[in-house]
Amino acid sequence: MSSLLNLITSQDAATRNQSLDAFARAASLDELLAACAELDTFRRQADNLYERVRALFFLYALHRFHIPRKLVSVAQAPSPAISRTGAPACPLIPFPGYEQLLNRRFEEAIDIFLKSQATDGPSDGISSALAAGYHRIAFQTLADQVRRSVRSVRGNQWMFRMGHPADQPLRLRPELLQRASDGTYPILREQTPVRMDLTHSAWSDIFFLGMDYPEGAKVLNISVDLGVHGRDTTTRPPVSAWLRVIDEPVLRLTSVDLGATADINSLSDIFDFAKDYLGLLKAAVIAAGIVPPGIEGSGQSLGELLSRIVGPGKGLEIVSCVNDIPKGSRLAVSTNLLGSLISVCMRATGQAASLTGPLEESERRLVLARALLGEWLGGSGGGWQDSGGVWPGIKLITGVAAHEEDPEFSISRGRLMPTHHVFSRDEIPDSARQALQDSLVVVHGGMAQNVGPILEMVTEKYLLRSEAEWHGRQEALGVLDEVINALKRGDIKAVGAATTRNFRKPIQTIIPWASTYFTEQLIAKAEAAFGQDFWGFWMLGGMSGGGMGFIFAPERKREAQQRMLQIMLETKRELQHALPFAMDPVVFDYSINEHGTVADLLHGDHAIMPANYYALTVPGMLRQDLQSLPVARRAELDKFGAAARNKPELRGMVQNLFDVLLPKGKSEKTQGASLDELLEQNGFDRNQHEQIRTDLKEGRIGLAQNRLRADTQIEDVTSGDVTELSEDLVNRKSQIVNLGEQALRNSELAIISLAAGAGSRWTGGAGTCKALHPFAKLGGKHRTFIETHLAKSRQASQKYGISIPHVFTTGYLTHQPTVDFLDRVKNYRYTGPLHLSPGKSVGQRLIPTVRDLRFQWEEMPQQRLDEQQQKVRESLRHALMNWARSAGEASDYTDNLPLQCLHPVGHFYEVPNLLRNGVMAALLKERPQLKYLMLHNIDTLGANPDPALLGQHIQSGACLTFEVITRRLEDRGGGLAKVNGRVRFVEGLAMPREEAEFRLSYYNSNTAWIDIDKFLAVLGLTREDILSADDQKITAAIRTLAAKLPTYITLKDVKKRWGHGQEDVFPVAQFEKLWGDLTALPEIDSRFVVVPRSRGQQLKDPAQLDGWLRDGSAAYVESLCKWA
Amino acid sequence: MRDVRKAVITAAGRNQRALALQTLVDRDGESRTALHILLNEAVSAGCEEIAVVIAPGDASAYATAAGEHARKVRFVEQHEPRGYGHAIFCTREFVGDQSFLHLVGDHLWVSRSEVSCAKQLVTIAAQQECAVSGVQPTKERELPNYGAIGGKLVSGGTGLYEVQNVLEKPTPTLAEQQLVVPGLRAGHYLCLFGLHVITPTIFSILEKQLSSLKSGEKLPLSSALAQLARQEHYLAYEVAGARYDLGARYGVLTAQLALALEGKDRSEVLAQLLELLAQRAK
Repeated sequence: MSSLLNLITSQDAATRNQSLDAFARAASLDELLAACAELDTFRRQADNLYERVRALFFLYALHRFHIPRKLVSVAQAPSPAISRTGAPACPLIPFPGYEQLLNRRFEEAIDIFLKSQATDGPSDGISSALAAGYHRIAFQTLADQVRRSVRSVRGNQWMFRMGHPADQPLRLRPELLQRASDGTYPILREQTPVRMDLTHSAWSDIFFLGMDYPEGAKVLNISVDLGVHGRDTTTRPPVSAWLRVIDEPVLRLTSVDLGATADINSLSDIFDFAKDYLGLLKAAVIAAGIVPPGIEGSGQSLGELLSRIVGPGKGLEIVSCVNDIPKGSRLAVSTNLLGSLISVCMRATGQAASLTGPLEESERRLVLARALLGEWLGGSGGGWQDSGGVWPGIKLITGVAAHEEDPEFSISRGRLMPTHHVFSRDEIPDSARQALQDSLVVVHGGMAQNVGPILEMVTEKYLLRSEAEWHGRQEALGVLDEVINALKRGDIKAVGAATTRNFRKPIQTIIPWASTYFTEQLIAKAEAAFGQDFWGFWMLGGMSGGGMGFIFAPERKREAQQRMLQIMLETKRELQHALPFAMDPVVFDYSINEHGTVADLLHGDHAIMPANYYALTVPGMLRQDLQSLPVARRAELDKFGAAARNKPELRGMVQNLFDVLLPKGKSEKTQGASLDELLEQNGFDRNQHEQIRTDLKEGRIGLAQNRLRADTQIEDVTSGDVTELSEDLVNRKSQIVNLGEQALRNSELAIISLAAGAGSRWTGGAGTCKALHPFAKLGGKHRTFIETHLAKSRQASQKYGISIPHVFTTGYLTHQPTVDFLDRVKNYRYTGPLHLSPGKSVGQRLIPTVRDLRFQWEEMPQQRLDEQQQKVRESLRHALMNWARSAGEASDYTDNLPLQCLHPVGHFYEVPNLLRNGVMAALLKERPQLKYLMLHNIDTLGANPDPALLGQHIQSGACLTFEVITRRLEDRGGGLAKVNGRVRFVEGLAMPREEAEFRLSYYNSNTAWIDIDKFLAVLGLTREDILSADDQKITAAIRTLAAKLPTYITLKDVKKRWGHGQEDVFPVAQFEKLWGDLTALPEIDSRFVVVPRSRGQQLKDPAQLDGWLRDGSAAYVESLCKWA
Repeated sequence: MRDVRKAVITAAGRNQRALALQTLVDRDGESRTALHILLNEAVSAGCEEIAVVIAPGDASAYATAAGEHARKVRFVEQHEPRGYGHAIFCTREFVGDQSFLHLVGDHLWVSRSEVSCAKQLVTIAAQQECAVSGVQPTKERELPNYGAIGGKLVSGGTGLYEVQNVLEKPTPTLAEQQLVVPGLRAGHYLCLFGLHVITPTIFSILEKQLSSLKSGEKLPLSSALAQLARQEHYLAYEVAGARYDLGARYGVLTAQLALALEGKDRSEVLAQLLELLAQRAK
């Protein structure tokens, strides 16, 4: 057995906990390939789930990180060990394998990729495809196992067997069917605290981790009541679920906080999670067994099912409420609400012994099991500590080794369900509990972030036992013991020291992205403001920026609450264009809840739903003929009317009702500007807009029409069509380098960084500026994209004794924030000329056509998701198509902040904008010798003024030289092709067939070298025209050139924020013209040069950052930078 | 264990009182009250004295319904409706210190063999010298109607189970956690058959439980049986027969059909059923 297999199968924990990296670093390419073959054979035969999964992760890591590096060194060696002969310029990723990947047939995909590797030899592209295949199959295997375990928990199994209403064994508790004299039914109310994780736990509550490493899965978890500081007068359980019988055979579900209510009368609607905002309530109703999961798709009647449980003609009303606690608090509000809803449903149907009061331990465990089921149904999933609010007080939750009687035995080392030890007052005295509350300030920083990728990273790093991360995990376990001991002593200062160390070291060692620039700023400012009285920082949940804790000397806590709010608001204002904030920061008041979830039964006059429920439902009732309302509904209106007069908590309700019944007109404004004003200010062309709308409506343009004709001949380029610029080549052709260096020394180059776009993928449509995002720590500090690009220009400037002019293009969304930001950071002390080139035109987003939505979602190849997530996605897409229909296809998208309704019109316009807005004129005036531009995307971090590439461009005499890289699986969106004989880029949008893209060896990095005079000549312009600012001539020339380029319709995601930190994402239609299409014009001499991936790759998605850091890309970028 | 000579029938429940007075045609083709058929069942098992727990005021109607067994019957009035457990407790003086056969008053049983259901149970109890409850594997959808036991198969004993827990009308959630019996089909539980041989220990258990019963609460029998399982050897036996709940919807009709189809008038009843079906088909 090889040493690698031994790492997986050894009985000795020390051997098993060794890292793959150490082996891979020392191995040759051939040895790595041999190890992959052995691991692949092993994982196909291994019975043990975790051995199989670990082998899969090893395979993923070898192909993602290690083999590509060895391939680069082999390719650069004087006599290549690998044959690169054959028709394609480099081995291609077979499209059938990609199709299998999309359809989640991972095994088949891997077989195809392996066969290709065996035939064509190893390559960067094939390794990227294999890495993706192994990564997905590994997570699928783990997710399947968790799902099986959730189903096999005793108490959950029966729900999967039940497929007919006649088989429903649950009956409503008789107490809930006893009407009051006015005809109303009692209300069962469940009130549940949320949970805080005092040790962070290094994400050890992730199921995959706890089930393989139960001894390392430990969490100190506290149940708390909450209030928003300054808003709420007292703390209370923030989560509540309400249930009562109604005289209609429907399920009436209401989310008070999301303002959504629906009468559900068919089973299929219950399983339609994304149709409305009631997905969580639906998941709870299913997980509680009222509508058991086994009945999905049975075609049976919900009315009959309810009749069986509640009685003929009767139904249930279930209401959820989270007291307007903002989303993203990292206090597991959603999971505890799910637990609360499940609990109230279980009590009502006799599945908990006690109808009211707290739950028994066995019942709490069942609520946890059902909450896991509910999260799976809803396509989400946190860790196993998240339902902690169901338990009382302070508890240690730990993983448990699987024993013979457990369904997990012999499959995984640990059980799915952890065990809870609730600390008694003897263990942690009241004084310590009070001391904690006297010192800890809990806040919501306001940032909205997706922690999903982080949980995957943690799992992957754990299973790989990456050296530093494994060490970090052990250190975090030590911190947990330290925190518990300090808490027992009541030494909160020591708690603060431990949680701060935890955040600084183990947490960030495991996941550097757990910290953000925003968080670092807050900590620094808290330290500055409170000095020795700031006792520490405590990270809550998946990542920082949302819910966080700051620990202070108790005598300063009150002051700290005020000051932290101020600090957070100030810092948010500074960074709101750089980082995604969902809301203004808040400070919470909180108190430890010593009861856990508790229910009570409200009778008679007390049987009133939460206040805002009535704001939601009463207007509807008032619009109906009162006589048509059921008796109980009429009686409730009376009761509510009386309560509104007498109960202090309902004070103001009458005014609220008037506001709802007679809504005020609204006009959204951004910094004082309305949408119309913004359109006016940013060069909106209404005639063009109306033409696009008409064309879109009538089907003349659209996603399908973006494509080239089906009979277009698209072939891969051959080696003569591109120039390979490997290091070896550069060394041999030093005259090219000399040419480039000479041009640099003569100050003939300026750099253009494209930063006008909305960065939809990076920001998730949040409308922040990607260029200003402090995305990663480089040189020990968080750096923005702008700072990084300037640092490269600084290094090159110093090397050649010049000051390179650097231009950042901006748009309606990014211009002012970039101006303000650069002013604040004093241009990062960049000494060369620094210009912003503002955009000159803007489009208005449109509601997409259903035709385009269908094309995108149904006709284009799509990555199928895991079964339940796919269901949720399909449900959401169905809802969005209905939205497009009802909002009006191709009508203006206006239901958002004005800035979110505009769109940039594509990067083709960026260089022409330089000509129109005077920036080019300024550059030429201050530097008449300027001849060349290097243009690149803001996220192409490896692009720098490389003399070899500049020299190559000069020597070729071309107008434009584009940099391309060899294709990896994730490089989607067209490529370099020979189209009907001409070498040019074909955008992904224009590909007539998906598979054509997979026959192309090279991907456009979108870095281009431009010969200014030749480009002006194409436009029919001269330097004099630019210097004399002949706007009419310039504009006409640009319009003529633009007319030769295709206009693409695209769908982009845009976020709409509402409520308390809620976000919805909508697809909107917009148009764009793209820079790469210039290569299709015969009058432009375009050349193509192949550059290394480290130079040409782009960072499109924050989830790429971890791989970028680990595969050496970050180090490469750092080597190009000179920080101020 | 001495032979079981005494039986207890409970018929005092508010919804149960009239059921035993229903008239049915038994397996022999004779018209009899349900009570009479129940008494036959008890007598077939060797019981010589039978207590029937009734609501106050029902004695004369029940005495009439008892027919030929009237002289073996003693009526015990349950003066307060304090539950099933309390009804049994009311018979403690009648039972004394012997094991007794208990039949619920709203069920009838049809044996699949020559030996009556009650007799099967009494025989097992005598062999095993312990309390034995009749049970039947039942689909989980029926759980809201019955008490159910958790336990394990006694090695070597066919259809004989060591009782570990008894729960009254459990939810499937609870049943799955506490009442899964190895060897049964998925989603099936051993539900009580309405027939038990119970040791007198039950009375001390009931007495204790009654003492802590709050005003207005009712005492079920199942919690006392669960306690009995903790205190002494207690078995469940899968009776070769079927039970019919007279209180269920169409319960009397179903019981009547079952009796008729197992009795001497089988052909006649079948013919009538066929005729009914044939007419309906027109």
